[in-house]
Amino acid sequence: MNVALALLWKDLLCEWRSRDRLVAMMVFSILVVVVFQFAWPSLPREQVETLAPGVLWVIYLFAALLGLGRTFTLELENDALTALALAPGTRGWIFVGKAAASFVLIGTVQALTALVFVLFFRLDWRGAALPLALVVVLADLAIVSVGTLFSAMSARSRFREVLLPILLIPTLIPVLAAAVRATTATLAGPGLTLPLAQPLVVMAGIYAILGFLLFDPVLDE
Amino acid sequence: MQSRTASGAGVPAARMRAVLGWILAGLAPVYAWTVWKAPLDSVQGVMQKILYVHPPTAYGAYLGFVVTAVAGGLFLWRGREDHDRLAVAGAEVGTVFCTLMLITGPIWARGAWGPGNWWVWDARLTLTLLLWFVYLAYLLLRSFTEGDERAARFASIYGIVGIVLIPLNYWIIDLVGGRAQHPQNIERGSLGTGMGLPFLVGNLTLFFAFAYLIVLRWQTAMLESAAEEAALAPADRDPG
Repeated sequence: MNVALALLWKDLLCEWRSRDRLVAMMVFSILVVVVFQFAWPSLPREQVETLAPGVLWVIYLFAALLGLGRTFTLELENDALTALALAPGTRGWIFVGKAAASFVLIGTVQALTALVFVLFFRLDWRGAALPLALVVVLADLAIVSVGTLFSAMSARSRFREVLLPILLIPTLIPVLAAAVRATTATLAGPGLTLPLAQPLVVMAGIYAILGFLLFDPVLDE
Repeated sequence: MQSRTASGAGVPAARMRAVLGWILAGLAPVYAWTVWKAPLDSVQGVMQKILYVHPPTAYGAYLGFVVTAVAGGLFLWRGREDHDRLAVAGAEVGTVFCTLMLITGPIWARGAWGPGNWWVWDARLTLTLLLWFVYLAYLLLRSFTEGDERAARFASIYGIVGIVLIPLNYWIIDLVGGRAQHPQNIERGSLGTGMGLPFLVGNLTLFFAFAYLIVLRWQTAMLESAAEEAALAPADRDPG
């Protein structure tokens, strides 16, 4: 547990000092928002509202891929990953620490992107902000769990920039589908109901458990 | 890492392959004959005969995934090389069966559902397509990872996540309302007169073809690693 907290603190501190991943993800996300403005010029209001949840989640997914791809890059320098693997205790906690740091980073970028998105497309989501935040939190738990696991593998492979999306996207399609469904329904009416949140909770739980258990052999050398 | 090579697992694999090969050689002509002689469907005509190929390839695709995940899990647990070779065999043969399923399905669909209907985002079709991508990702992960042992470990992990993904995907796709256009499972008595036998023989033949290919691929991989070990051995003994 202490390992997880130490890693979380270390990763956030490094990020605070360099702001590499945060800035890269943020600029990328805003650029994609702008790209969509040109991809669907002057669409009627209703169509923008219908497409918005899907588009936002596509941006979230790609920005997360960008951030997750860099999760273990620092650890590769001076072979710090080996030292990390030698840390006492269950290696699952290393996974938890890394995933938690990515969770904070990706969540921050998503919140800022959502702000830009609603401003640019003149949407008013204020009433649903809290349930939407819950949807994002649940989906992010699934994304960072499986993302951290695969990132640790792809970081030590050739073509890692290409490999991570190829590994990750098929496993994240159910998360994306459930998140878009929950976002659309939350914006359309009664808010976030249990049947909408349930698939996200189940997937976040399963992916987090798999990540915790399977992280040990990833670091075996 | 414990290593079990051709000398250990190769001999039973060769014997198993010979038995499977003979069964397959016996079944294949019967399969071709029963399909040829099967009555034509009154509505779909000759195209309905894809039924004798398409569902059996689907079972092979899913079975390949199970072999990959179970063998991968065993590799992570016991660290034996032959388990990893079996996992690769499962993924490779599974990919072939999955590809065949994805090719035969649209050919039938275009005929049955009308021109332009090669593909619909039905739950089962979507699931199969994702399964195919997971297979490809598995094989790419292996080829992009340096070091046999590391590639085996990473691939085993991916195989296990992959098999968990199947029920998850099915559930989610069903929830988000994939159009249920794919015919439901063949229910008892739904096959026309004379169609049951070729369907049964088709399933049996393709099952044995699947098993034969798995064992063949497994055996080849074991022989490859034995040859690699043999090539390295003199260098190990004599560093000068």
